[in-house]
Amino acid sequence: MSSITAPAPALDPDGPLIPASRGRRRTELIMLVFGFALIAFAFANVGYTLKGKLPSAMVEYLGAFVVITVLAHVAVRRLAPWADPLLLPLAALLNGLGVVMTYRLAQQGNLLSAPLSSSATGIQVIYTVIGVGCFMAVLFLVREPRVLQRYTYTLGAVGLALLALPALLPASISEVAGAKIQIRLGSFTVQPEEFAKLALAVSFAGYLVAKRDVLALAGRRVLGIDLPRARDLGPILLIWAASLLLLVFESDIGTSALFMGLFVAMLYIATSRTSWLLLGFAMFVAGAFVASRLFGHVGERFDIWLHPFSGSNPSNNAYQLVQGLYGMASGGLLGKGLGGGQPYITPLVQSDLVFTAFGEELGLAGLMAILLIYGLIVQRGLRTAMSVKDPFSKLLAGGLSFMLALQVFVIVGGVTRLIPLTGITTPFLSQGGSSLVASWMLIALLIRISDTARRPPPRPIQEEGLTQVVTIQ
Amino acid sequence: MSIAVLVMFVLLLINVNYLQGFAPASLATKPNNARAFEAQFQYQRGSIVTSDGVTIAESTPSSDVYKFQRKYPHGAEYAPVTGYDTLYSETGIEYYENSVLNGSDSSLTVRNFIDLLTGKPRKGANVTLTINSKAQNAAWNALAADSGGKPGAVVALNPQTGAILAMVSFPSYDPNALATHNSKQLIAADNALLRQAGNPLLNRAINFTWPPGSTFKIVTGSAYLSRNPASTPQTNVNSPTQLKLPQTTHVLTNNNGEVCGNGSGQAPLLTAFAQSCDTTFGSLGMTLTAPTLNNFAGLFGMNSKTLRIPMPVTQSNYVIPPSQALTAFSAIGQFSDTVTPLQEAMFAASIANGGKLMTPYLVKQVTASDLSTVDTHQPTQLSQAVSPAVATYLGQMMLAVVQDSDGTANAYNTAAVGFTMAGKTGTAQNGVNNTGLNDAVFTCYAPYDNPQIAVGVIIAGGGYGATAAAPIAVQVIKAYLASLGK
Repeated sequence: MSSITAPAPALDPDGPLIPASRGRRRTELIMLVFGFALIAFAFANVGYTLKGKLPSAMVEYLGAFVVITVLAHVAVRRLAPWADPLLLPLAALLNGLGVVMTYRLAQQGNLLSAPLSSSATGIQVIYTVIGVGCFMAVLFLVREPRVLQRYTYTLGAVGLALLALPALLPASISEVAGAKIQIRLGSFTVQPEEFAKLALAVSFAGYLVAKRDVLALAGRRVLGIDLPRARDLGPILLIWAASLLLLVFESDIGTSALFMGLFVAMLYIATSRTSWLLLGFAMFVAGAFVASRLFGHVGERFDIWLHPFSGSNPSNNAYQLVQGLYGMASGGLLGKGLGGGQPYITPLVQSDLVFTAFGEELGLAGLMAILLIYGLIVQRGLRTAMSVKDPFSKLLAGGLSFMLALQVFVIVGGVTRLIPLTGITTPFLSQGGSSLVASWMLIALLIRISDTARRPPPRPIQEEGLTQVVTIQ
Repeated sequence: MSIAVLVMFVLLLINVNYLQGFAPASLATKPNNARAFEAQFQYQRGSIVTSDGVTIAESTPSSDVYKFQRKYPHGAEYAPVTGYDTLYSETGIEYYENSVLNGSDSSLTVRNFIDLLTGKPRKGANVTLTINSKAQNAAWNALAADSGGKPGAVVALNPQTGAILAMVSFPSYDPNALATHNSKQLIAADNALLRQAGNPLLNRAINFTWPPGSTFKIVTGSAYLSRNPASTPQTNVNSPTQLKLPQTTHVLTNNNGEVCGNGSGQAPLLTAFAQSCDTTFGSLGMTLTAPTLNNFAGLFGMNSKTLRIPMPVTQSNYVIPPSQALTAFSAIGQFSDTVTPLQEAMFAASIANGGKLMTPYLVKQVTASDLSTVDTHQPTQLSQAVSPAVATYLGQMMLAVVQDSDGTANAYNTAAVGFTMAGKTGTAQNGVNNTGLNDAVFTCYAPYDNPQIAVGVIIAGGGYGATAAAPIAVQVIKAYLASLGK
């Protein structure tokens, strides 16, 4: 349809039928620029605090970051013009803050904890470029979310294979900090679970769309709760078993909780039945409890969580958690300022405990802002799930958003001692490539679905001679 | 589902608020908190000054990893008092007054808050000690020079208040070496001190005990005069040349087998005290019995586990002996009697103060960085060791030790030293079968008619108390009285 024949939106008699009369890409660009300003300010802040001048590498890093995210914006304009305008700027802002924190941690350390290698920031920027590249690739390849439904079982198999891979490989190339979760190729490492999450989310959505009626309707009612039939329990038992195997063979409680949570949440969205939620939650807690009794690694996590300050814990097992808490406490309400704290004291602060580094340097105010940014991304995702009509897309958007929320909850709750600390990454903020790339792909999927959700329906083609539809008031 | 997400984020927000809004104060004191520990080096720590205004510990601006460097201008001389403040730990006043020195004490909270509002940098409070720099310096020089390198310690007290005027331990160490911000240098310096002969880190003034020897006769004499109200220093008491001990063939004799008094077997208490007759006091001890001696030792401050100045003071012991013979030895400061140099000073101080023993203390006043007083120490009484009458008698006897021609410390009479001193010598045998070098002990106060200072001196292996310990006490008293302008 040409622009000449299209009526101006304000005069459109069908106005209310069109959810968004324009794509709001300009809003996205303005928010993106606002994000760039914040990141540039944070970068300069680190430089002035640590060295009293602007960081010399700031132009290159920031330049590369701006170019790639503006490219992403152009890609969204072309490939998903109706997409939600906030998802890209929010993700870019978090990614940029993560790069700044990596730079900050590479600049300063102390006798006991050396700073990150000087190439760490450059590598993180390269990962950002790869991540945004994958973001654009997903937008390009997946033009319509429903096409993914075709690959339900393929992606399910790929997801499980990716999950199982590190457990099958020898520890020399898969073990990191007691958990077998990565594949090391030379100096380059990949954490396949980050990609398995996405594959399984798509797979779950496809499976549940097909089976949701039987899962929702068949069954008996006991004590006011609809219990599913025993034979329908198969899939949830399978995932439960897989998540427990993950726990046992890869010692990775965080990811295990994430998968179980993802599946149960999607089951609930698909069937609207609380019983699945309760069942899944009870199964995971029971499984984790038994595992904590049987396997030292898991039991130790609980001990650290409950008694971090007693006995030798503060200097041994709980050292990392406790140092993270001390870091956040020293930050207080307003923080020490970027570059002003001592986040390097906390072991692995660049990956699992990066949230505490922000807590130390940006304070309570900064952490609330970061949590609200995550909350906004999740809210945009859930909003997309509610407005999209296709049930597969609805399930996928809901599942992906919930998974992001759950991941933030598990790691942030872990480092703030709300729940036991488990080693998973903080989306966008942690140093490391796999998590960043996978997070960008997740955002790409949400943008793709939101584009579908907000796209105005095709206007009826009105030609002379055909019956005209008239609205009678 | 949205509700679940909302609940998760609200929980996170609440928990973060709790952690950063409410918990920091309690987390700051938890173990292994390097951040809170290092934070103290970013504030200017308060100074430690003597009562006459000599700074003995201060923090000066520094350009290395921390903003301030701790310095001890007088090094080893004051080390037993100040202790040290290192990267990882503190001792002495640095430890026991840490919260006011680093400004974290609750009494300074309001001032810190006002400083925060007015934009003034936070500063720790200054601690003013009771130490008199002249007395301390005299004690240090005398100990380092006169003792010939032998380990020893000197404590001087104000008898009326319990204020510690001097506290010196030899050998000592330079706390500046431990104040380095380089942890490798710190560990090296610490190891060197730990390996060094003579254990320089030990504060012998309050944390090491020796046999009191004949100075314990102050306790035995006090017990006798208190339990026999009719007696006076002129009362004749049993003073044989040899004291037969029950249930043993062992005989107690006086130093070099000397005769006590006129050799009649009876001598006035004052004479026996001045000549330090072991037979007399051994005999008195057996008559008085060990529980009585134990009771009076306690009244003079011994057997106390709780004495703090504010550093904890090692207990001075009187152990009830298992036999009468050993009670005789315990009455003359042998057997298992052990005392700190501080306890020696407390013997003389209680006699000088009419029998009233004041609690010794080191911190006179705490002053905030704006020079306002935060806290001033009020002297407290530890015990009434003896009645004023008995204290007067003991004073006369201690005067005789120094002033009488046959007194053991006659070399330090008024004519010789220029002031009137009262005291008691002690020469404690030690080692297996008493083969070790004798420890020289001296306790005294001066001036006799208006006591200003009580001093306790112990020199390990020094020999006779009168020749090794007393001259050091004289130097300290002389310097202190000079500083008072008398």
